[in-house]
Amino acid sequence: MGLIDAFRRSNAPAKKADDDDLFDDEFQRKLDYLALVSRRVFAGRMRAERRTKKSGSGVEFADHREYQPGDDFRYLDWNVYQRFDKLLLRLFEEEEDLAIYFIVDASGSMSFGDAKKLRYAKRVAAALAYVGLANLDRVSIVSTSDKVMERMPQTRGKARIFKVFRFLKELEPAGHTNLETSLKAFVAQNKRRGLAVLISDLYDPAGFERGINVLRYNKFDPFVVHIVDPNEGKPKLNGDVLLYDCETGDEREVTVTAKVLERFQHAHAEYCEEIAKFCTSHQVPYTRADVSVPFDELILRVFRRGGFLR
Amino acid sequence: MILAGLPLATLLTIFGIVGAGVVSLYILKLRRRTVAVPFSLLWQKILKDKEATSLFSKLKRLLSLLLQLALLLLLVLALGDPRAAATLIKGRNLVVLVDASASMQATDVAPSRLASAKDKVKSMIRGLGGADRMLVAQMDAMVTPMGPMSGDTGELERALEQVTATDARADFPRALRFAADALRGVDNAEIVVVSDGVLGAAEDATGGVHLGDTRLSFVPVGTGKRNVGITQFSVRRYPLDKSRYEVMLEVTNTGPEPEDIELTLLGDKQPVDILKLRLKPGERLPRFYPQLSGASRTLEAKIKPLDREHDDLPADDHAYALLPERRRAKIMLVTAGNTYIEAALLLDEYLDVEVVAPVNYAKKAGGKYDVIIFDGATPAQPPRTHAFYIDPRGPGSPVKVGEEIKQPGFDKLDRKHPIIRFTALDEVNIARAHKLVPEPGDKVVGASAEGPIFVAGTRAGFKFAVLGFDLREADLPLRVAWPLMLLDTINWFTEEDAGYLSSFRTGDVWRVPVSTPQVSAALKRPDGQIEQIPVHEGRAVYLGQRAGFYELTVPQAEGTPPVVTSFAANLLDEAESTITAADKIEVGGKPAGEVASFHVGVRREIWIYLLLAVALLTAIEWATYHRRVTV
Repeated sequence: MGLIDAFRRSNAPAKKADDDDLFDDEFQRKLDYLALVSRRVFAGRMRAERRTKKSGSGVEFADHREYQPGDDFRYLDWNVYQRFDKLLLRLFEEEEDLAIYFIVDASGSMSFGDAKKLRYAKRVAAALAYVGLANLDRVSIVSTSDKVMERMPQTRGKARIFKVFRFLKELEPAGHTNLETSLKAFVAQNKRRGLAVLISDLYDPAGFERGINVLRYNKFDPFVVHIVDPNEGKPKLNGDVLLYDCETGDEREVTVTAKVLERFQHAHAEYCEEIAKFCTSHQVPYTRADVSVPFDELILRVFRRGGFLR
Repeated sequence: MILAGLPLATLLTIFGIVGAGVVSLYILKLRRRTVAVPFSLLWQKILKDKEATSLFSKLKRLLSLLLQLALLLLLVLALGDPRAAATLIKGRNLVVLVDASASMQATDVAPSRLASAKDKVKSMIRGLGGADRMLVAQMDAMVTPMGPMSGDTGELERALEQVTATDARADFPRALRFAADALRGVDNAEIVVVSDGVLGAAEDATGGVHLGDTRLSFVPVGTGKRNVGITQFSVRRYPLDKSRYEVMLEVTNTGPEPEDIELTLLGDKQPVDILKLRLKPGERLPRFYPQLSGASRTLEAKIKPLDREHDDLPADDHAYALLPERRRAKIMLVTAGNTYIEAALLLDEYLDVEVVAPVNYAKKAGGKYDVIIFDGATPAQPPRTHAFYIDPRGPGSPVKVGEEIKQPGFDKLDRKHPIIRFTALDEVNIARAHKLVPEPGDKVVGASAEGPIFVAGTRAGFKFAVLGFDLREADLPLRVAWPLMLLDTINWFTEEDAGYLSSFRTGDVWRVPVSTPQVSAALKRPDGQIEQIPVHEGRAVYLGQRAGFYELTVPQAEGTPPVVTSFAANLLDEAESTITAADKIEVGGKPAGEVASFHVGVRREIWIYLLLAVALLTAIEWATYHRRVTV
């Protein structure tokens, strides 16, 4: 490999996105609009009072269960005991605010090309976080590659959106994707379960399924936003080329012909389809985010699609 | 298989260097453009399917390199001009002798026999096989190879174009020997004689020509037979009246039919005589023209058939001659009185004679004279001119005068010496004479049994003649021989030979006497071309092959103007005038065969096919590349 190639490689991923206008006024106006729309969508539901499935110390009766030694006597339903001579314990729905985690994939592949995917991911994360903050949910953001890289602690309240902006602006792409290890670290660090919005291109050599399953198996509610750059499915290549992975550096000699390109397009589409199919079959909300689609349209689609802020 | 072009070592070197270059370029071509991809696993996935075909892909790449090397190999081989060894061994080595003698100028086949011969040779050249090689040589009085032995048709045709007809007869034995020498040690040797067959026997003074295993073929040219030619033509002045001259010519009808001709004799380009003659088949008709006068320099004879513009061979219809140049000579006669000498000198009107008494010689010695005749007197110092000593006595004699001889005679005579030509001296009676003692280099012209009495030679660049007796003591002055001998001697001194050769024959080596310290002289040919010819031992040497008038300019010592000598040359060859074409020739008793197997367009040169293969492979490569077969 020649010096020129090495030079090209070192420069290729270094094309940093211009983040100055990432969250400009126009973006913020759109966020306000989205917040209004979200209120209309979720109208009639309790604000900041998300009932969890677990029973707890709330005021709303949920169910009965048989008394077990050690239970708090205060929750015994004496009326039932009087009528049916059975010791039953009254259960109440526990009331708590929702924890929303935005897991932004900041691996090398997200900055491929002119880093369109990472910019798009940041905007989507910012928009959804704003909606979450506006609904008084606890919002936390982490960036991952093969590990958890940066972490914004949980916060709430609409006014904290600028903190979110700052955090997202400072995200730099690095490392290679390994969703399994990075999400394992994530669940280990976050005991409080909640909605885990995974924003990634899902280019994981070890398999995207493992990462999603880590969230599933650890009682998080995963929500997958799959960032897709359509140009990656139709690379403009021809002739004899030496392909190298921008994350792993793996090399492969390929003679690109029209037939090879056609096969690649097919493989790329198949991969995306595979992700969608996996999420559907495992009841994981999935949204495909095409970078060529304006982000606000995507957010609206997310709202309509459901699964977020339910 | 052998290589007729570049040698194998050179070809290997070229292939090695260029092949290394091709491989280097090929390797460079394989350096791929590096392209980053976000997720190589997808490529890996689709390429897994291609793994099965990667071997074929590599093979295709290897084939591409091999194809390029094969193209290079074919080109290098083409440079080597490979030929099948078998065809080379079978290839003929030909020496084509194209007859360019005078008879080949015959126009019985249009436009001429020589042109027809050239056409036939040209078709032979175009029919040469790939392994055949040919040498074209012009055969006339000598033999001239017109180019190297070659298989290149263009080169051979250019060589053939240079063949031009001459006015000389062909030296057939010499041409055969040249061809045999050229083909010595060569396989499939063949001599092809392209001629009308008017060649004479294939033998000369050294004997017959033996060709050994060399095949001899004959390509006959010409069909005509009718011709009348001038076969003799000479002119001379009368020795005793040089203003007059006589002409002898001979006209020969070499054809099978009677011919009516008009014979014209021209003196200085003006008609002197016109005569109509009828010649029977094969008849030789000599004509003698005595007592002619008027012309001072050139004489020409022309014949013309009466029934047509010209006969089949115009080359022998014109003959040329030059009369010996006449100029006045200044003679000093130193004598006390001798009527015999004075009377004899009166016979030549071109002599200015001054008689001087011996006592007055010293006063006159400084004058410019062409010849001084000493009669019974001998100068103290030899004169600075030519001198004729009659009965010398004193010490100034160029030869030593010995003892007296009683009643000698001319027992021995050098009859070829110009000063006694046309004289009869055998019967001369002499009362007494003195024996002469010649020096080395002197010629004894006449001698008695006792010793030389007539000697000629050269002293200090001037000729002399010494007669060892007094004319009055012999009967020589009473004979016709005396004035002839005296005038011949003067002519010898002044180089006005009464027996001047009026013309040379074409095809002979001419040796023109010249007096010059230089080693070359300029010869102007009848066609106006001037060439330098060598001068050897007082003679300009030249092999002339053109009839006509020549002019030889002989340079002299510095400060002296060059001497210009003219002479004529004629064919005058009855054999060449006999234009009856022969349909076969024999050499050493063996008849020449026919030329066989010249087929136009049978040249097989492998390099052409190699280049065609290169073009074909390139076309295939181009087509497969653009159809993405080899990519």
